[in-house]
Amino acid sequence: MKNYDTDDTFLGRWIAGELSEGERIAFEKTDAFKQYTIINKEATLLEGPTIDTEAALLKVKSQIQHKATKPKTVINLWYRIAAAAVIIISAGFFLNSSKTYTTAIGETQTITLADGSIVNLNTNSSLTHKRFLWNSNKEVILSGEGYFTVKKGNGFKVNTSKGTVSVLGTEFNIKDRTLFQVKCYKGKVRLNTNDNAYTLTKGMQVTIKNKATEETIFTEQKPSWKSGISTFKDTPIHIVLEELSLYFPISFNTKNINTTRLFTGNFNHNDIETALKTTLLPMGISYKKSEKENNYILTE
Amino acid sequence: MLENEEPSICEEKNYNTLFRKFYEPVTKYIYYKCGNLHQAEDIAQNVFIKLWNLCATVTFSKAKSYIYTACNNLFLNEVAHQKVVLKHQKTVTDHTNYESPDFLIETEEFRVKLKAAINALAIREREVFLLSRIDNKTYKEIAEITGLTVKAIERRMSKALKELRAALGKEIKI
Repeated sequence: MKNYDTDDTFLGRWIAGELSEGERIAFEKTDAFKQYTIINKEATLLEGPTIDTEAALLKVKSQIQHKATKPKTVINLWYRIAAAAVIIISAGFFLNSSKTYTTAIGETQTITLADGSIVNLNTNSSLTHKRFLWNSNKEVILSGEGYFTVKKGNGFKVNTSKGTVSVLGTEFNIKDRTLFQVKCYKGKVRLNTNDNAYTLTKGMQVTIKNKATEETIFTEQKPSWKSGISTFKDTPIHIVLEELSLYFPISFNTKNINTTRLFTGNFNHNDIETALKTTLLPMGISYKKSEKENNYILTE
Repeated sequence: MLENEEPSICEEKNYNTLFRKFYEPVTKYIYYKCGNLHQAEDIAQNVFIKLWNLCATVTFSKAKSYIYTACNNLFLNEVAHQKVVLKHQKTVTDHTNYESPDFLIETEEFRVKLKAAINALAIREREVFLLSRIDNKTYKEIAEITGLTVKAIERRMSKALKELRAALGKEIKI
């Protein structure tokens, strides 16, 4: 006869009181029976966890919309669709959100982008790029002036007001003020304007001024602004004055001077008095502060 | 078509009846598996929320089976399994006495070890053992809950008892 040890349902049937008379009598004679009896007795004295059903019901009720009528369910569904749409759209906006770096007058900033490219942002400029997934579409938007040192890799693009500059591992400067100028210091860049395309290699620059485009060459090794100097060659004085007001928080009253005269020379970004002297005195222009704050009246 | 249709779960009164009837046992059932009461309550509550949303498709008589199956499925998706914390009923313990010449056991020490041994059981044996011993469910009910045959429950119960004796037998001197 099978017993508690050899029959794999024996003990289960014993607990349920379903052993046959013979099985039971034989089992009760064993020592194991006594041990099983104690184990069973102690186990039945155990308690499960205490559960507050009414509190749980309230909690569940607060989480489900009341009333089970069909139209209501449909509306709930629309609410859910609307909520999902809001989440998706806001996630889209979030993923699409952008980061902007801005420099104030007289300030410069060095920005390292996600791909290791470096942008030196000149005074009074801003650079914007997508906050997420930028590496899959390396576009930045520049306004003002910046010097770009771009890591090798595809598809780096700078959008400006005058066109797009695309790059392949290079160093270049973009100036997007009254005067628009792209200078290539290393490697190769391409400038696409609305009506033309230019390929620039080292030492080449494209200047756009009053819709006139000019391709020239230059010899400097890096933009002078990176050394704290602005350099001009045969540049109309109004451009020089604009440049001055980019590095110093000042403005000019120019109604007494001819702003088309050409200036060759430079000024230092450190000191406003020296900068004014080195640019204006050689041109025979004198200046004095007006009653308006930070405004200078120029006379010839 | 028969006139006496089943009560609709979409009616709050009927839903409440089901909740009061099954919430506690199903929560305990999940608790015996996972050992985390908070998790067990969460699972049961989520299932009851789903039941409300599906009130038009689940019939009153199928609700119990739905609740247990859904809870079990949710449990299988949860990863963290913890020890079951069980307490002895305070009221009854005082009446228990093994000071007879037959049994020499240290009751308090034995109880600590019993709980540890129950925790050491495999989940499938532990749930059957506790549903039967603590919740006084018949094998037929347990079979219904777990979706097994009564025979399988008898086997799991036997296995659980054997393992408990293997762990505790030496504590009970005869």
